[in-house]
Amino acid sequence: MPSLILRRIGFAAFTIAFVSMIMFAAVEALPGNVCTSFLQRFAQGPRLERCIEQQGLDRPALVRYGEWVSGAVQGDFGYSLKKRKPINELIRERFRNTALLGGIAALIAIPLAIFLGIVAGVRRDRPLDLSLSGAAMLAMTIPEFVTATALIYVFAITLQWFPAVTILPPNAGLMQMLPNIVLPVLVLSAVLIAHIMRMMRASVIDVMTSDYVQMARLKGVPERQIIRKHVVPNAMIPALNVIALTIAWLLAGVVVVEKVFNYPGLGTLMIQAIFDRDLPLVQAIALIFSVIYVGVNLLADLAALALDPRLRRKGH
Amino acid sequence: MKKSLLLSAAIAVLGAAAPAETLRIPHELGYGGSESMDPISPQRFYEAIQNVYSRLVRQGDDGRPSADLALSWEATPDAREWTFNLRPDVTFHNANAFTAEDVAFSLMRTQSEAIDSPTKGVMEVIDRVEVIDPLTVKVVLKQSHADFPLLVMDYRIRMLDAETCGNDLDALCESGVGTGPFQMVDFDPLGTTTFTRFDNYYGGTVGTENLELIAIADQDARVAALQAGQIDFIYALSAEQVPLFANNPNFTVQSVPTGRWVGLVMNTQIEPLNDPRVRKAIRMSADRDALGKLVYGKDGYITSCDHPVWSGDQYRAEIDCPRDIEGAKALLAEAGYADGLTVELFVSDISEGAVKMAEVLQNQAKDAGITIELVPAPADGYWGDVWMKEPFFATGWSQRPADQILNEAYRSSATWNETAWTSPDFDAKLDAARSELDFDKRKALYGELQKELWENGGSFIPVHLNTVRAFSAKLSGVQPVEDFSIRYEGIAKSGSDS
Repeated sequence: MPSLILRRIGFAAFTIAFVSMIMFAAVEALPGNVCTSFLQRFAQGPRLERCIEQQGLDRPALVRYGEWVSGAVQGDFGYSLKKRKPINELIRERFRNTALLGGIAALIAIPLAIFLGIVAGVRRDRPLDLSLSGAAMLAMTIPEFVTATALIYVFAITLQWFPAVTILPPNAGLMQMLPNIVLPVLVLSAVLIAHIMRMMRASVIDVMTSDYVQMARLKGVPERQIIRKHVVPNAMIPALNVIALTIAWLLAGVVVVEKVFNYPGLGTLMIQAIFDRDLPLVQAIALIFSVIYVGVNLLADLAALALDPRLRRKGH
Repeated sequence: MKKSLLLSAAIAVLGAAAPAETLRIPHELGYGGSESMDPISPQRFYEAIQNVYSRLVRQGDDGRPSADLALSWEATPDAREWTFNLRPDVTFHNANAFTAEDVAFSLMRTQSEAIDSPTKGVMEVIDRVEVIDPLTVKVVLKQSHADFPLLVMDYRIRMLDAETCGNDLDALCESGVGTGPFQMVDFDPLGTTTFTRFDNYYGGTVGTENLELIAIADQDARVAALQAGQIDFIYALSAEQVPLFANNPNFTVQSVPTGRWVGLVMNTQIEPLNDPRVRKAIRMSADRDALGKLVYGKDGYITSCDHPVWSGDQYRAEIDCPRDIEGAKALLAEAGYADGLTVELFVSDISEGAVKMAEVLQNQAKDAGITIELVPAPADGYWGDVWMKEPFFATGWSQRPADQILNEAYRSSATWNETAWTSPDFDAKLDAARSELDFDKRKALYGELQKELWENGGSFIPVHLNTVRAFSAKLSGVQPVEDFSIRYEGIAKSGSDS
């Protein structure tokens, strides 16, 4: 059992290392480099040469990759020459803000989605199920930037309950973040809830029609108990992977939502870094995102192991 | 759920209750947060520097230089030595006195190799700066320049406090200490940079107590923020965004001409575009008014005749350039293309409307038998891989005074001579205009240069762009001038009702 867990962790570490290589190579393959994008029309002659030398771009890619990885492993993402600040310093607060946004959205959405999924599954094809499923379909099909714009129009421009975009005074504390978070969290949760709820519902329906539930019913076990003891735990296993994938989706969703709401998180920072061709910063944020992605999937794997004894047997 | 919503609403109201009389301006994050408070840095934070630092000379309502930190100026007859008389009793935000030493320091540092400022090329005309007395400074030029005050009118040539900058000509100076109407309180280019009114401002009372520059990179987010009352002002509305504010009593919409232009460039040295008749035929085939309406909307442009000098410039030449298909065909036939001509045009989304402009010209030129094949190029790396490399390509320029744009883009030896325009006669006239002290004669010389570009040049400049801005109806005193010349100190904001 511990060796199984170690193996999974090993796989995860390998994936991250591989992703970091791909990322570095992709950035290398882009036309131009930090200097040409930074200097734009000035990118010629001695000015360009000086910049390339200062940024160390004249060294082989492998050497630069090695330096970058060893720094990142020690928690040092290097220095953004464009912003003239250590990347760690740029990222720290942004990471907190994104974690706050994503965390609150996940904390609200996941339990609620599981609950609604169970309710819909149990009341299959009744009015409650139909309206919940209909709403979920709607939430899944409308892109989040549309939902966001609609919410801004209603709650920020017309009713003026919440700010339309996040504007923070310098050195803003956590309390000042809260009103800004409401609309982005609503947008993110809507999609999260829809995905997880639909999966949970399907999974519950599956289990409800299984032989062992039928057997329990025939033995006269109360319906409530059947649902709690047999249906929910079994239905959770397939749903877990979807939850993991959805949290991973959250990372991409956060980028879009942050942009629309001008939210000072990693997403907006990454978009700016891409426009600004601040490649070290792009790499650092991309690496953080991939670590989160892999980490969440690893957790889902381990949780599934804990829930399902069959997976723990040798050979899996 | 409802309770928590109400609670957050209450928090929102508390959080949004900013003190009255704070002017909130969005900042577009053009340099992604690497903005610098040094006015001559390539990443100058221009919304900030224009409020904390002042210039020697500013643009007057007639487009000509008018007094700012310099009250008056005169030149020797050869226009090589310029004496500026400075405004007395001016202090910096740190209470240091503003003197001739500061002028000498601020002008000479633009030439630093180490700083490598974009203003370096233009300011290299200065040989030395002599301090005559604390309020008089003499600038000695390497060559005659009758319009030297125009050069120091550049929005980046700001006066810094030599002492605060450590008298180091080769170091960036990002102190934010200037003589301007606002002094900086907090610097956060990725968030909110805050300023407060400078009580000793020499220009009189400042309209608002506070000024905030709020980073919002996305134009749609800026529009939403203005609609929701989180900011007071928005620059550069697109034609589609104007209706959101146009008929709303809570907002004022203002459209003003600028010197910004997007154009198509023909390299005058490469076949078939090296034939001036071919170039003129292409330019004559364009219906500039129709093009402007299609690409920039009916209030978005002022037509131009392929010269880069904009409508607000004192040296703009009046040229007429109607569409002339027959004339274009005749010129093409004369040049040996009676059966039509095919050229490739490299375009990319580098400047507002560049691709649309190319498409419109493609359609208009068809009538004259010219086939333009559009070659899309990636915006990424465009300035390195396509611009000035291909024979026919798109470009974009920000506003510059006549002398500067003509020298920067059309002098044979200029680094950014994108049309590869090589004409000793043109260069000689540029020099002559620079040394001509009589305004009318100078204007006539600049006029000839512009006519020459319309007759033979390689640039297609159908229009100069207007900029459309919207702002809260609570603001008063927003002058209808282009963005670089807005005087935020003159803007007042009434009440905090929403």
